[in-house]
Amino acid sequence: MIVKEFRELVRDRRTLGMLVVMPLLLLVIFGYAANFYVSSLKTAVVGPQASQVAKMLPSLFDVTVTEPSGTQADAETLLQDNKVDVAFVTGQTPALALVNGSNLFAAQSAVAALNKAGNKVKTQVLYNPGLKTSWVMIPAIIGLILTFIGTIVTSLGMVREREAGTLEQLAVMPIKPSQVILGKIAPYFLVASVDMIIVTVLAIVLFGVPFNGNPLAFALGAGIFLFVVLGLGVFISTISQTAGQAIQTAFFFLLPQILLSGMIFPLEAMAAGIRWIGYLLPLTYFIMISRGIMLRGEPIAALWLPFLVLTVMAVVIFTGATLRFRRDLAPGRPASPARKQPAAAETVGTA
Amino acid sequence: MTAVQLRAKHVTRRFGAFTAVDDVSMQVQPGEVVGLLGANGAGKTTLIRMLLGLIAVTSGSVELLGGPPDRERRRRLGYVPQGLGLYGDLTVRENLSFSARAYGAAEPVLPPALTAHADVLARELPLGVQRQMAFLAALAHSPEVLVLDEPTSGVDVLASAALWDTIRTQAEHGAGVLVTTHYMQEAQQCDRLLLMSNGQLVAQGSEADIVGSTTAVAVHTSDWAQAFAALNAAGAPVMLEGRAIRVANASPAELQEVLNAAGIEATMQPVPATIEERMLVLARAANAS
Amino acid sequence: MFGVRSATVRFGHTLALDDVTVEVPGGSVVAVVGGDGAGKSTLLRALAGEVPLDGGTIEAPPKQRLGYLPASAGSWAALTVKQNIDFVAGIYGLAGEELTARRAELLDRASLTPAAGRLAARLSGGMRRKLGFIMAIVHRPALLILDEPSTGVDPVSRIDLWRLVSEAAASGAAVLMSTTYLDEAERAAQLVVLDSGRILVQGSYDQVRAGFAGVITRTGDPVRAEWAWRRGRVRHEYWPGAGPPPGTTVVAPDLEDIVIALSLVRRNEGSS
Repeated sequence: MIVKEFRELVRDRRTLGMLVVMPLLLLVIFGYAANFYVSSLKTAVVGPQASQVAKMLPSLFDVTVTEPSGTQADAETLLQDNKVDVAFVTGQTPALALVNGSNLFAAQSAVAALNKAGNKVKTQVLYNPGLKTSWVMIPAIIGLILTFIGTIVTSLGMVREREAGTLEQLAVMPIKPSQVILGKIAPYFLVASVDMIIVTVLAIVLFGVPFNGNPLAFALGAGIFLFVVLGLGVFISTISQTAGQAIQTAFFFLLPQILLSGMIFPLEAMAAGIRWIGYLLPLTYFIMISRGIMLRGEPIAALWLPFLVLTVMAVVIFTGATLRFRRDLAPGRPASPARKQPAAAETVGTA
Repeated sequence: MTAVQLRAKHVTRRFGAFTAVDDVSMQVQPGEVVGLLGANGAGKTTLIRMLLGLIAVTSGSVELLGGPPDRERRRRLGYVPQGLGLYGDLTVRENLSFSARAYGAAEPVLPPALTAHADVLARELPLGVQRQMAFLAALAHSPEVLVLDEPTSGVDVLASAALWDTIRTQAEHGAGVLVTTHYMQEAQQCDRLLLMSNGQLVAQGSEADIVGSTTAVAVHTSDWAQAFAALNAAGAPVMLEGRAIRVANASPAELQEVLNAAGIEATMQPVPATIEERMLVLARAANAS
Repeated sequence: MFGVRSATVRFGHTLALDDVTVEVPGGSVVAVVGGDGAGKSTLLRALAGEVPLDGGTIEAPPKQRLGYLPASAGSWAALTVKQNIDFVAGIYGLAGEELTARRAELLDRASLTPAAGRLAARLSGGMRRKLGFIMAIVHRPALLILDEPSTGVDPVSRIDLWRLVSEAAASGAAVLMSTTYLDEAERAAQLVVLDSGRILVQGSYDQVRAGFAGVITRTGDPVRAEWAWRRGRVRHEYWPGAGPPPGTTVVAPDLEDIVIALSLVRRNEGSS
């Protein structure tokens, strides 16, 4: 029995891959990515004494913007656009330090350092004054739920047809591959959207997570993101022969997104060598949108980058998935039209 | 060797209000090949599972090699289910090795037909070869009883003949064989037949016993398509054979009337009925009730 | 007239179909016989447009006029009988009253009316196959392709299926079906025997029998093992060229004898 199981395992390359590669991957990721301590905070300094203050700040604060003519409103805009973690507003006594509460660990580092300055600085945490973990996690979890539904469930739906042999039948019918894909995705799109609304409402009601931005922009971002993950699901289904394989592959795509999208471990704290992987993942960009809109009330124009990236991803993945799907569904149709039969072949009689 | 290898005595099996097997008595003796026939839902599978000891009887008794079908007796049994029970991602050799060890037998020697495929994965083999392999696995421990569920379904004629060769050889060596089949030409290869319908054993014996009192009429006509349509529309149990039409349990006069009304010329000829026609008649009776 | 001409299909290194020509005229049933790996499925799928040809041509109607029943289930397990039919009919453009009438007619002909609300997964093998069949003809196709429609099906359903097939042909459709059952091949207007991708013999049953060369004897003890096979309790032996030795019992060959004999010719004389 043992021998048989071993033999079967060796033949199952995907499972073997997961058993060997996954632990290594996890180790590497954890080693380099798992870091709650942010060692460098992007900082802006505005106001009349900007330059002097900038020079005085400890090395923890990496000053990227020095704007002597800037006002507090400018500082807040920088924070809202997530360009900096801390903004100092000089020209008043005591100086004002605005902290970006939506970057939880960066904010914690900042607050700890600022407290040491005592009365010289007045600290104000924006967007997440209580520095609550749930406020930062939940916008990300919304994205995770969408990813889950999109990838795993869609890949199963398609693979089921292949396993049952009904995909063959669809291939022979006068139905276009794009119609099949759309028909398959629509229910999941609907379900995922409903799920998302429920979770968002619950988050606001149960945990008090704010929703400071434009709901329409949020819906748009979620919609595009859904297309990306659903496209991923379709793609996985075209490369899987069985439901088991589909789930394994979907899981393989899911796990890095949980760890490297900035949901748990802040991107800034990751070693650069690992961080770039995060920037390839769709969930990373959705989190930028969801945290931006829900916590910071960021306007859609400022979020152009994640929107653009997600749109491009959606188009690329969908095109790739459709092409592969088309290959599965209509490989042999000859380009030259078949000789059409005259009316004699029209069925007559009782058929 | 026990006198009777498989026996069911007034066996009944109920699932809730549904009676799957109703007072069935049968036996399989050493050296004979018995064919078990019946439509889906007739109770064949349930009967076999009781004979193998996989499910309990509601009333009556079953005997496998002279006693209740316990694990010891099942060691002396070879069973090939319809799904073959092979591991798709093991090779031929590995599959045989596994089942041999499971039964505590020596690993079987591969016959010439299978040596070419010895290291091929089971799921990549053609169906005929898979069935041969499943047989080999079931025979490795020299069983005294063989139970085979649709052994040649989907297999071509040549491979089918080879499989029956194996079955016959086993019978000649004293094993008792119980075979289920849907293919009537295969039924003719058996020594004795059992026909089940709606859980009951409605006939047993030779092909003539199974056909019983069913009659058939062959209708010869040049316009077979129209004749077929007309008779079918009149509700007669029609079948096609070659270009001739056959109707079960019908009177030639009535058929002639139907065809005359449709303006079709035909001659009638009484012919011996087939097992399929008996089954067709049984099915229509069951549907009508 | 539909069909394939000089069709060749390669899967990697294997030649699944080798220069095969089969014509399927309207109003008749053409049966393709052969074992596993003979190329039956490949031939049918090539005609249905699912498998591209590496050589040769096909004559097939557009998808709207084609009906196909694959070797697998043929219906969606999680839908009921009625829902299955409605889904397929919708794709072919049937709707409203036309759909309702057609559905009722087909269910009645397949004796499936009492099961209309049952899930396809809960149907017996034979009933499921019948469902797949009526789904394939719902739009009255000009060409009907059936892949082993009756394999593993109980005898009564097999009769029903055969009746449905004959009715479809009688109404003018061209029917190409594959089967391992020789009695079905005998009944077809034309039969084609495939072996390892090549045609062994084709024609009507009468033609095939008339064109068969050689003699079959019945014996308990065959002279040449590689030319003999078991039939029931006895063996048959094939003598392709020279006559059999005197004193042996000659039998009139049926289709099973012919197919086996021709397969043995190919096997024993070493085909490439």
